[in-house]
Amino acid sequence: MTSRQILFIVALVQGVLLGALIILIILNRWFRLRRSARIQPRRVAVDDSMRRWAAGTAPLAGVLIALARLPSSLAIDALVGWSARVPGERWRELAAALEHQWWARLVRTNGNSARWWKRLECARFLSVGATAADVARLVRLVNDPHAAVHVAAVASLERMESTPLTLTALERLPRLAPTVQAYYAGMLRRSRPVVIQHLLKRLRHTDDPGLARFAEFAVRLAEPALRERMTALADHEDPEVRVQVARALGSFPHRESVAALTRLGADAAWEVRAQAARSLGMIADATTLSLVRGLVRDPVWWVRLRAALALMRFGTTGRNTLLEIEVGADAEARDVAKMILGLPAQALAEFAT
Amino acid sequence: MNVVGGVIHGTDLAILVYFLALNSFYALLLVLSIPEIWEQTRLAEDDDFQRLMQSDALPPITLLVPAYNESATIEASVTAMLTLEYRRYEVVVVNDGSKDETIERLRHAFDLYEIPRIYPETIPTKPLRAVYRSRTRSRLLVLDKENGGKADSLNAAINASRFPLVMAVDADTLIEPDALLRLTRPFLLGREVAAVGGTVRVANNCTVKDGRVIDARVPRRLLPGIQVVEYLRAFLFGRLGWNRLGGNLIISGAFGLFRKEYVAAIGGYRTTSIVEDLDLVVRLHRYLRGLKIRYEMPFIPDPVAWTEVPESAKILARQRERWHRGLIAATWQYKGMMFNPRYGPVGFLAMPFYTFGEMLAPLIEMVGWIVTIGGLALGMVDTSFALLFVLVALGYGMLLSIWAVVLEEVSFRRYRRFGDLFLLLLYASLENFGYRQRTVWWRLKAFVTVWRRRHVWGDMTRKGFGKEASTP
Repeated sequence: MTSRQILFIVALVQGVLLGALIILIILNRWFRLRRSARIQPRRVAVDDSMRRWAAGTAPLAGVLIALARLPSSLAIDALVGWSARVPGERWRELAAALEHQWWARLVRTNGNSARWWKRLECARFLSVGATAADVARLVRLVNDPHAAVHVAAVASLERMESTPLTLTALERLPRLAPTVQAYYAGMLRRSRPVVIQHLLKRLRHTDDPGLARFAEFAVRLAEPALRERMTALADHEDPEVRVQVARALGSFPHRESVAALTRLGADAAWEVRAQAARSLGMIADATTLSLVRGLVRDPVWWVRLRAALALMRFGTTGRNTLLEIEVGADAEARDVAKMILGLPAQALAEFAT
Repeated sequence: MNVVGGVIHGTDLAILVYFLALNSFYALLLVLSIPEIWEQTRLAEDDDFQRLMQSDALPPITLLVPAYNESATIEASVTAMLTLEYRRYEVVVVNDGSKDETIERLRHAFDLYEIPRIYPETIPTKPLRAVYRSRTRSRLLVLDKENGGKADSLNAAINASRFPLVMAVDADTLIEPDALLRLTRPFLLGREVAAVGGTVRVANNCTVKDGRVIDARVPRRLLPGIQVVEYLRAFLFGRLGWNRLGGNLIISGAFGLFRKEYVAAIGGYRTTSIVEDLDLVVRLHRYLRGLKIRYEMPFIPDPVAWTEVPESAKILARQRERWHRGLIAATWQYKGMMFNPRYGPVGFLAMPFYTFGEMLAPLIEMVGWIVTIGGLALGMVDTSFALLFVLVALGYGMLLSIWAVVLEEVSFRRYRRFGDLFLLLLYASLENFGYRQRTVWWRLKAFVTVWRRRHVWGDMTRKGFGKEASTP
């Protein structure tokens, strides 16, 4: 075959492909328009029936019929959208009724699918429509290897109270990336009693590689029952754990917290000192004023900043201390004092977060 | 005559091989973009934004907004940026010594008041004149500094930023309200993200209200219209394809999210670079690969920012010439990464592709035209064969452009009207007749400029969204 013939064949194939693509574009647009025209009234019907049912002026059956007329993905979208607007008790009624719907049963079976998008559909549905019978399925989905699936599944904790499910999510927490961890933590906070009991146990395992992450979660909970365990970790060898302890103790104004934070204020790691300064400011115990004042002369800028901000929380005494530092001998401390004293209240509040 | 004939045939053969190799690679990108866009569309459809908005899990973001002579659009753009759907973010606008009324517009629109500088200068920049906060918008911080260029402004904004993720946004760019929520999806999927890019679309001819694109239209004018197709092609199949190969080299400077610690570790944006976004991404790859840090730099197509593209050939020529000059500079400067196993797919795929497939392409195309025309004139190249070859080359270009339109149609469908779809197809076809050849010429001029060692930035004349065009 000559090169001319090859080029001719390529040109021919290109022409056919171009034609096919243009037809595909037009057919796709036409198909979608038709589908949209067909489905839109059904969507409106779901919204209408949901609104009337939520207001108590229509029976649940109407909602179920309207949902069944939608493709399952759109029915799930509608459920997710409405779940935040309907009170918990009424929503549980709907979730229970959905258990017997053919399409919902089909979606549930997708939880075992080899395709992640099918499992995701199931997880999204269960995040708003799960009942007690779905716990085993949800545990499996929370352990799913696909991030989108387990993130969707863990949202079921917003509505479900289940110890096995909570513990599964909690055990997965230290192995997750920071953003996913924070998302899990937000969901787990709703099952507080179970979580705290389990955390108390986990925080005792001082050689656990996930300890820093559990400690970080404990900070988010700010639960007084965890104070003692967190204080005991103030001398832990891992600086990341000590950072979390220093953060946590600011929420517990207690003499043991103050004693631990005083130690942490002299820590070798600057991150720990910075957090300790912040927490000392939150507690604002007069006996720690000189320590915080000393931290304004720390070699690390962030520690100086946190300490100067902390001094502002000590009220007039702290402010006067900063004014003294502003005219003191240490040039770096002077700079940071000048900065903080020049900040308006709104900026100070934002920096404190 | 035999020697000339040999040269012509040898060159023709080399160009044919180059053409086949390059187009096979484009075909590979095209094939790879299919599963990628399918996955991304599925994930985008299943995002639960209501729940995400209520969650404090998503990482806080600082938007870095360099502004130089942007008085026409600055108020609308910043207002839109301040009303995005995202829980924790701040906007740092940097007035880069503008000669127009940019800072006055900002001061008046957002009731700014001066505050002392409260952060260390991690990356050296041109001197700051003042730092402002707003009495009406607590998320806003404005820096007024001496002119130092876009990269210098971005560095100043990075210094002032408080949050771990920073996003460079051009002041004339309109970000869609849910774009930040969408852009952070890879973080919620637990990926080790060093940077993530979103889609930039063309705002010319779109209806803009309160800094938002409320009706997406394809421009009626040829030049911006063809750029719509170019942007679709670059974003929807080029970068999606690169996602699968792991060698994304461009996160758009107009809309990209970066992990601040990495950007600071490499000294921020390089002020001497002509195309600072490409330069930053290449250096990030080099730094992260060098330290064997696990990372990804994905592109995700559903977060959208809209930008005005040049409507005059003169400004477009300057823009394209500058982009190409930046590409030449970057490929030359980081040539050590090429075929270096230490840099994985970036060294073995992305750098060679950008060097041979993008940077040298206009030179090779020019040589091709000269040799073919010369060969035809001397009767050494068969006319019908040459025509067939040109036909195939143009057809391939059309095929790629129309493929981008297909991807747009099966995924996001921003252009709802049939008329717009028809225009897209028309521009995808017309692009190869005249426009493409002009871009080759503009890019060739970049080689001349580099040869003369000139580093000149072109000025972009902006109409301002929803306003009449000013005299160029």
